Amino acid sequence: MNYIKRKDWQLKESFVTDEKLFKNRRKFLKLGAALAVSTSAVMELAAKELTPFLSMQYKTAKEFMPSSNLHYKEDPNLNNLTPNSYKQITSYNNFYEFTSSKSGVRTLSENFKSEPWKISIDGLVEKEIEIDMDELVKKFALEERIYRFRCVEGWSMVVPWVGFELSELIKYAKPLLNAKYIRFETLYDPKQFPRQNSNLGFIDYPYVEGLRMDEAMNPLAIIAVGLYGHTLPPQNGTPIRLITPWKYGFKSIKSIVKITFTDKQPINTWNKAAPHEYGFYANVNPNVDHPRWSQKRERLLGTFFKQDTLMFNGYEKEVAHLYKNMDLRKEF
Amino acid sequence: MSKQFFLVIALLTPLMFLLYKLFVVGVDDPIKYIYTLTGATAITLLYATTTISIVKKIKNLVKYRRTVGLFSFFYALLHLLNFIIFDMELDLGFAISETIDKPFIYLGMIAFLILLFMAVTSLRVLFSKYFKYHKVIYIAIILVTIHFIMAQKTLSPEQMGYLFIMGIIIVFKVLQRTNLIKT
Repeated sequence: MNYIKRKDWQLKESFVTDEKLFKNRRKFLKLGAALAVSTSAVMELAAKELTPFLSMQYKTAKEFMPSSNLHYKEDPNLNNLTPNSYKQITSYNNFYEFTSSKSGVRTLSENFKSEPWKISIDGLVEKEIEIDMDELVKKFALEERIYRFRCVEGWSMVVPWVGFELSELIKYAKPLLNAKYIRFETLYDPKQFPRQNSNLGFIDYPYVEGLRMDEAMNPLAIIAVGLYGHTLPPQNGTPIRLITPWKYGFKSIKSIVKITFTDKQPINTWNKAAPHEYGFYANVNPNVDHPRWSQKRERLLGTFFKQDTLMFNGYEKEVAHLYKNMDLRKEF
Repeated sequence: MSKQFFLVIALLTPLMFLLYKLFVVGVDDPIKYIYTLTGATAITLLYATTTISIVKKIKNLVKYRRTVGLFSFFYALLHLLNFIIFDMELDLGFAISETIDKPFIYLGMIAFLILLFMAVTSLRVLFSKYFKYHKVIYIAIILVTIHFIMAQKTLSPEQMGYLFIMGIIIVFKVLQRTNLIKT
């Protein structure tokens, strides 16, 4: 028998819009647009006139925003997520190779040189390769992914990443059948990363992360090369980084120079530094606390009060099957 | 104007700065910002309080010690209120279960109770009776320093500095107590 299996991200037939409604869509659009214009105009007026505090916040939302320089397919944003401002995303960063101060990264990374940039792909592959960043990006069509981003420290943001699926890169790299894991490595360059010299012995550099092959092949896992339509700024991991939105932020390794296919589970940096605190999987899980930070709730940047953390950061439908026979308390 | 008055103004500066950052400049993660600023100020003032008794033979500032100590308690109280009101959103059951569950939080709580005891017994009527117990401040100093370090993912140079100062205070205090140095 021949049947088509629906992929996780494909919508069910029942979600398809009724033809009548579809044909009437212009009416809805006009109504919606009128509503949107009127509310935003009122908000803008309120922001300008009523309180100086609000108007300041309103202005800073657009500050530092570079013009778009990437061609990509826009995310239809079916989850209706509201991205954080460009300023918030680029001025609140954990990038320990520069500093452990989140606000300090932006200025310290200003002169980071990411050109030329080569990425080597090795290990259990048909043929080891070294490829130039520009060349690599040209091979894949870019698309936007508006994802939740959750830090293990209990804060979160929503980011409009631009990139391509990691599975595309894996297919291009042609791993051997016995490759069970994929390992990533950040640039090691103490001249550019001041804290790689004096890391006080608590974190080993270069920074290493890894995924199980089925996790890496999941359509949610992307290799990001931009955000808000523009190439990644240094503090967000220029020129190329991993994004696994169902896992804590530290899993999303920045400034990748080396990708290795292996049959052994890679020892990721934070797991090595404190194994009882950070596991290999690092899945966002409100039911499994970090020894110091509760994971039940999170502070979304730019808001004052907390919100509930969702299982697998809200991507349960897409990834839960990857872990169905695992004890998530032990394999955290 | 008395020197005490200027001291109070100086000790209120971190609070003014906090309010300025929160309401004028705007910060992305206010709860975390309140934690860091009130916590670091409380610890710094706690160090200052103990330093006064160590250097009193060189420079006698003992008459200001109570004020500095009370302000350390004040910032620790703001820190605790941030935990209960903003972070836990007044869910006392959750606040208690979190406290019992996480060493990082209960070390801070124990330190707070010590500071609370000292603040209450610094009232003139109680001070003479309880003064001798005020040595517990050294326990509080050790606890809050550990608490501060545990709040971060790793030890930063800034915290190494705090750890270093704490070490110096403890060493000097031990030397002073054992009469190895005359201060």
